[in-house]
This record gives sequence, structure tokens and C-alpha cells, in this order.
Amino acid sequence: MKPATNSNSVVKIKKERNWKRWTIHLFPIPALLIYGLFIVYPLFAALTYSFFDWKGIVRGEFVGLKNFKDLFTLEPFSGLFWNAFGHNILYFVLQMVFQNGLAFILAYIIYKKVKGSEFLKIAYFLPRLLSVIVVGFLWKLILNPNYGALNVILEKLGLEQFQKAWLGDPDTALISIILVNCWYGIGFGVLIFLAGLQSIPKELFEAGKLDGADGLSMIRKIVLPLMVPSFMIMTVLTFIQSFEAFELVYAMQGSQGEPYHSTDTLAIYFYRLAFGGSAGGSTTAVGLGSALAVVLFLFISFFTALYLRYMQKKQVDM
Amino acid sequence: MNRMKAFTLTGFLAFILVLSACSSESGGNSGDSEASEDSVTLTIGSWRTEDKASYQKIIDKFNEENPDINVEFKPSKNTEYNTILNTALQSGEGPDIIHLRPYTPGIELADAGYLEPLDDLEGLDQYSDETLAASKGSDDKQYGVPLNMSTTQMFYNKKMFEEMGLEEPQTWDEFMELNEKIKKEGKTPIALGTKEGWLLSLSHGIIGPAHYGGNEFVDQITAGETDFTSDEFQSSIDAMDELKQFFPENYEGLGMEDIRTMFFTGDAAMFPLGSWEIEVLREMNPDLELGFFPIPSAVGKEPTITTWVDGSYAINASSEHKDAAKKFLQFMTTEEFGTMFTEEFKMISAIPGIESEDELVNALGKAAEEQSTPYMMLVHFAGGNPSTKATIETELQGMYLGERTPEEVAKTVQESAQSWYEPLQK
Amino acid sequence: MNHTIWTRPFYYVFAFLIASISIYPILLMVLSSFKTSAEIFTSPLSLPKTFNLDTYRNLLEMIPFTTYFMNSVFVSVVSVLLILITSSLAAFYIARFTFVWNNIIFFFFLMGMMLPIKLGIVPLFILMKDLNLLNSLWSLIFMYVATGIPLSILILTGFFRTMPRELEEAARIDGAGNLRILWNVVLPLMRPALGTVMIIQFIQSWNDFFFPLIFITDDLKKTIPVGMLSLFGEYSADWGALFAGLTLASLPMIVLFFIASKQFMEGLTQGAIK
Repeated sequence: MKPATNSNSVVKIKKERNWKRWTIHLFPIPALLIYGLFIVYPLFAALTYSFFDWKGIVRGEFVGLKNFKDLFTLEPFSGLFWNAFGHNILYFVLQMVFQNGLAFILAYIIYKKVKGSEFLKIAYFLPRLLSVIVVGFLWKLILNPNYGALNVILEKLGLEQFQKAWLGDPDTALISIILVNCWYGIGFGVLIFLAGLQSIPKELFEAGKLDGADGLSMIRKIVLPLMVPSFMIMTVLTFIQSFEAFELVYAMQGSQGEPYHSTDTLAIYFYRLAFGGSAGGSTTAVGLGSALAVVLFLFISFFTALYLRYMQKKQVDM
Repeated sequence: MNRMKAFTLTGFLAFILVLSACSSESGGNSGDSEASEDSVTLTIGSWRTEDKASYQKIIDKFNEENPDINVEFKPSKNTEYNTILNTALQSGEGPDIIHLRPYTPGIELADAGYLEPLDDLEGLDQYSDETLAASKGSDDKQYGVPLNMSTTQMFYNKKMFEEMGLEEPQTWDEFMELNEKIKKEGKTPIALGTKEGWLLSLSHGIIGPAHYGGNEFVDQITAGETDFTSDEFQSSIDAMDELKQFFPENYEGLGMEDIRTMFFTGDAAMFPLGSWEIEVLREMNPDLELGFFPIPSAVGKEPTITTWVDGSYAINASSEHKDAAKKFLQFMTTEEFGTMFTEEFKMISAIPGIESEDELVNALGKAAEEQSTPYMMLVHFAGGNPSTKATIETELQGMYLGERTPEEVAKTVQESAQSWYEPLQK
Repeated sequence: MNHTIWTRPFYYVFAFLIASISIYPILLMVLSSFKTSAEIFTSPLSLPKTFNLDTYRNLLEMIPFTTYFMNSVFVSVVSVLLILITSSLAAFYIARFTFVWNNIIFFFFLMGMMLPIKLGIVPLFILMKDLNLLNSLWSLIFMYVATGIPLSILILTGFFRTMPRELEEAARIDGAGNLRILWNVVLPLMRPALGTVMIIQFIQSWNDFFFPLIFITDDLKKTIPVGMLSLFGEYSADWGALFAGLTLASLPMIVLFFIASKQFMEGLTQGAIK
């Protein structure tokens, strides 16, 4: 092949390369456009509501940070906020353990080609296919104290002392909902972790074996480090989802955080403030609701950003 | 092989797209029918998905006199109705005719300017002031046509009472006695669960007046002459606490569906719910012999049935068909409509003097007229955020769970009311 | 690594126990759909007496299921396609190229998940009104694409980063442009991730009821979840029909899952390790 030495073709190649390099910047544009128009714009428009006084659904005058101050200093707002916040933390912890922790173990089991892996994969993911309303409805039936399957089974096993009014007892209501959420989401975790496991090149395992490594240290030295992207995805996702927890709680317990504030989460509280309770006689407090959303957003974005930076550094070190 | 799969998949998808696009296009065209020159289409928004079929009959009747006004009843799910309606109104849209939630939420819409004043509507003068108050704006203009009265009282299973030799109680002591008797017989006296807060303010709506002294108390408190920490009101909370011995087992975990089932299957003898349950109960168990009794007073007053206007119809201020809408609302004030409404819906019309062929509804309507006391929390105290009504719901719930004492309940309710209700703020 | 774990009974039992908990409620739903209202209350845990399709027949008479179905299919298919296209392009850009603003863009996309979208419902409604999209299925499509992009980019970026660069470099030397690289080299290797995104986003769009509730008023344009919601109010007395409705609403997703899982999840090992 004759090298392209004459200046015209060199310029041509350079131009081609520049063109190709330049077009890459078009790649994120479609996503940015749709996302920007339909998510960012309306949300930020609504966030500005937090700086105004609201009488019901009518916007009043500009009040600066008053709504934020009220949210944290006035009762019952402040009490409800911290109550809900604590619940969200519990949500996150339990989801990390029972949803992600279990999902990883199950994904590993499936990865090892246990007999019936296909069946297992499908079984774990089946709940995720349902609408949250259906999930909430079905589990409300199962958790019913008098004729729900859970209590009936406990009785049949001779474990009556463990029978409870699961959704009616403030001590168990939220935990029940969180565990149902784990039931719902575990399949997704299994998929993500499985995909992560399957992208580990087999050669690494062979090499490990040759070095005389056994099961557990293989996991520690090969699997875990290479699973970092999957872990990162699931952690960020679970963090965001648990602090935004709304759908399932709403489906199972409504918007009042019943019984007696025990199932209140920040997003449910937000819904109550911004849209009123769902029943006939409640009023709205749009300014406070928006302020709450702002606070929630700042909290989540701050910690997510921190976590991502930390993980990036770790990946670089690897 | 991969390419083949990709092509067939894409082809299949494209086919589905085209098919769906076609069907949704044509569906769309027939859906938003542009009104022909003389005919108009009105939409009615409501939360009563259960009543769709019945409203069609009403609309057909209306069309006899007004053939060129098409009316479409488009209800949304109850729990989401407020969100859907508010969002539409705030964006300048929304149905032409709006089913208003009673009192505060509806008035909020009026005050926000989303409703059309109806002061010149014919037929408004037949309603009592209390009835009109449910949709009267803070500017004293009338914004809604009252639709129906709802009541709440003790329903009871006539057969069970007969079998146990019980009669409708005339005094509070008799009421407590019959509860004891039912319990001894191994049945649940009162079918009430505490998982859903709204049921608690509703049943307090029944029990409360028997202890705080009915209408007299309501007049006093709305004028700011007494408050929620008074002995009268406190005793109403204490009574609620006392009654829990007659609730079903595991009442903390029971919701609306559960208690209704308990009642219509004959596990429980009494059911403290609203008049709207009559139809539902009958559908669930047509053999149920349903009766009701007004709650006897514990303080020497008359027995009471708790009532309120449970919805009014208003016109969207940005509707393009206000005249047609007014015609429909006007139709809703006629006796013709009232009678048809009561027959179809088995509810008590807000129009005075309408009789029903249904014995139970009739008796209820009469009792409502003669022995009524308002559902105080809904009618007067649904303001504030969280509303005082919501506050008493959560507080009672806490009380039944052992987290609050009756005194704390009353105190918290007072604090809530004081935060926004002017007469109590002196 | 070749040892099969099924020789360790504990893991086996554990995995299957969880699997049965996963399946049970769904089984409950399907079995209940064959029972009459009375049966559901009196014997909730037993097998139905008959397996006739009466409840389903009643249901299909009450609700225009096929219309809702076609609407749901249209919305979900278009949404997922658009999501895959836009997200792959953006994720490739973020993962592979180290431009200064990449982290900002990535985080910008993530922000969408950190706020309850309901917060913006009034500005959204006005936006749809101005774009003339109210009561149109496209309002739903745009919403699902917009809300689906953050998660999809999160997943795809994570997986794109794990891909070995050698293949790309080779293609680039051969003169392939970025688009060609993406389409011919990267995406085929990303099948597990793409499959996951596709399934999740399809489920998300299919099962959502909030946006159709707010934006769609025409009964004929409703999607399945909204149509099914009406079952809870309008026909509350007929529990058999209710369960039949819930089963029918869930069925398309289950069927699709079985089909798609074979496409994307089996034989992954081939593509992934190369």
C-alpha cells in the first residue's frame, strides 16, 4: 500500500478524522433533549414553588426560604420529617441486605449452574413483572391478620405466637412493606449481578485455579473486584429508590403513613403535602411539599455524588 | 442467523407500530368528536366509578328534554381524583362539570377561582343553608348544586338481633348492654378496624355526638365558646376508647374490606358506616336483613344520625360550554332528577321532600331530617395541614394502638384546630 | 470452575425456598381468578373448584381489553426502542470518552431519579397541553423515555466501562466510525445489559398507571393498568373478575418475559467472554 504522502490526502484524512471526532458529540444529544424537556424542565419549574407562599393550590407571594424554615422548625412538620427520614434509612438498610445481599447470593448460585437454574431465574424475576398495585394488593391479602396466608401458615406450623396484624401493628408495618419491596426487587438484582458475573472472563478463573486458589479466595480476589460496576449500579439505585420510596407504600398503606405515622416515608409525606391526602377532607401545602422535595433532592444527590467519586477513585486504583 | 433474527424482530415491531398507530388514530378521531354545529359535549368529572351505569340513565333522561347536549360521565379512581382534578384545573383544563368533594376541598377550588358562581341558577332556593354551605365559597357566592346527603349510623343485622333477643337501644346504657350480650354469645358486636384512619373519624362522627351533646356542642365550638379539651369532647374520646373491647380480634390490622365482609357474612352484629354502604352490602349479600338505629345519647339528649352533604356539582370556570352545563345543573335541582337519583343510587337526595320506594333509604332519609347532627370534623374542621380531621384520625389510631391516651388525643386535636380555625384562636 | 453446587443441599434448599416465596403470590392471583367471590372468601388457600373461564368471559365483556392491550403495546414498544437508542448513544459517549464534562452529564442524567416526578406534574401537564399531546399516547411515550433514560444510562454506562478496549481499537484502526463501532462491536457484546434494560423499561412503561391517569381522559386511549384500576372501583363486588383482571393485566408481561429471556439471557456466555 502506498503511503499517503501527498499533502492533499493527508488533509483529507485529517478532515475525516476531525469529522468523526466531532460527530461523537452528537451522541448524547437525543437523550439530553428528551430528558431535559420532559423531566428537568418541569421538575425545576416545580422546585421554584418552594419559594412561594401557597393558599391551597393558589400561589401567593414570594417568601424566600420560609417554607424550608417551617419544614424544620414548626411542628408537626419537623416531627413528621424526621420520622419519615428515619424510615427511609431503615428502608435503605433493609433493602441493601435483603434485596441486594440475597440477590448476589442467588445470582452466584445460578451462575454455578445449579440444576434448575433456568427455573430459578424465572421465579425470582416473576414478581418484578407485576404492577406495584397488584403486588400491594396481593400482599395485603397475604398479610391479613385473620385469613391471610402468612398467619394461616404460621398456625399450621404451630407457630401461633408469631402471628401478628402485620400491617396494622406499627412495629411490623413498615418492615413488612420493605420486605415486600425486597421480594419485588430481588429479581432485578439477580439479573444485574448475573450479568456482571457472566462478563468475568473465564481465563481469570483458570489462572486462579492454576495458582492454587480455592473457592472463597477466588470470590474475594477475582469475583468481587470485577463485580464493582454491578455493585455500584445496585447501590446507587437502591439508595435513590429507598429514599424515594413511594409506590409500594402507597399501594399497601395509602398516603397517610398509617398506622400512626409508622409507614410514613419522605416521598409519601411529600405527596400528602403537595396533593393533599387521598380521602375526602384534606388540604394541600404545595410550598412545603416543594421544599421537602428540594431537601430530599439535595440529600440524595450529595451522597450519590460522594459515592460515585469514591468508586471512581477505587476503579482507577484497580 | 443474528441478522435474520434482527430483521424479523424489527419487521414485527414495525408491523405492530403501524397497526397500533392506525387503531389509536382512528380511536382518537372518533373519541374527541368535534361538536357539530348545534350539539355540544359536556364532560362530568367525578370519583364515583361505581355509579357509571346509573349516571347513564340520568343522562338519558336529561337528553329527552335536551337532545343536542351530549353528556359524558368520566369518573376517575377515588384515591387519585383530587390529584387528577387539581392538576387539570391548575393547567387551565378539566371537565366541564365537576363533582366537588364536600366542604373544605371543594371550597378551596372555589376560592382559587376555578369554579363558576351559580347564584342565578334556578332551583337553588329549595335547599337549606346548611346544605348549600358545602359548596359556598368564602366570598359567599354559591358554587355548587348539592347532590346528596350521606349519613352515618349504626347498621345492624336484624336477624342476629332477633336471634339474640335484642332490640334497638333507646339509651346509651342499653347500647352498652347489648354489646356485652353479643360478645357473650361469641359474636363480634361492632365491625370496626383501626388500620384505616378515615374510619375512625367516621365512627367518632356517630359516637361523638352521643357524648359531647350533639348540635348544641357544635354550635358552641364553631363559635369558639368551648374547645376540644372540654369535658364534653373528652368524654366522646373516652367513649371511643371504651368501645374497643367490642371490636373484632386483631382490629389494628383490619381495613374497610375486612370489616364489611365481617358484617355481611354475619360474623359481626353492627356496622358503623355510611349510607353509601347500603347498595354495596346488598350486592354482597342480598339476604342480609339490614337495619339501622340512631345512636342514643349518653347525656340525656335525643338520639342522633350524623349527616352531611356528600358532594355537589359545580361548573369549571374555564369551560367552553357554560350555558349547556348550567342547563344540566338546573336539571339536577328538579324533583324529577331527585326522585330518579334516589331510586337509582339508593342515596338520599339533597333536594328536600324526595321519597324513596326503598324502605330503608326512606326511613334513613326521614331520620336524617328529624334527628340530624352534622359530621363535625368533615363539615367544620377539615382545614389546616395536616387537617384537624386527619389529626383526629391519626390520634385515635395511636390511641387504639396504645401509643396515645385519650387526653393526649383531645389535646392534639385542640392544638391542630387552634392553628388555623379563627374562632378558636382568641 | 466446574464444581456444581447442587451437591451442597443447603444452597439448593435456600434457593428453592426463596423461589417458592417469589412465586406463591402470583399463583394465588391466578388460582383466585378461577374462583367465585364466595369461594375466595371462604377458602382462600385451596384450589378452585372448577377451572372454567367464566370470570374471564365476564371480564372481557365489561372492559375493552383488546383496545387497552394495543395501546399498551404501542406505547411500550416505542418507548423501549427510543430508550435503547438514546441511552446507548449517551452511555457509550460517557463511558468511553473522557471529556471533561462527562461526569457532569452522567450526574445530570442521574438527577432525574432523585426527584419524585409527581412534583412536576402541573408544569408537565401544561407542557403537554402546549405541545398538543394531551390525551395522546405520545405523551406517555415521551414520559416513559424521559423517565427511563436515567436508569438505562446508569446500567449501560456501568457495563460499557467493563468492555475491553482492544476490540474497539482494532475497529478504529480499520477506519470504522464511532457509530459503526457502537453498532457492530460494542452492542453485540452488551447483550446482557441491553436485555436487562429492555426488560426493565418495558415493565416500567407497561405497568405505569400514573401518567395515563393524568394525561388520558379518553376511555379508548387508556392503557391496561388504568383500565384494570377501574376494576377496583366499578366492579368491587366481583372478586373473581378482579383477580381475572389482574391476571390478564400481568399476563402479557409474563409471556414477553419468557420470550425475551431466551433471546437475551441464554447463550450470553458466548458473547460476554470473547
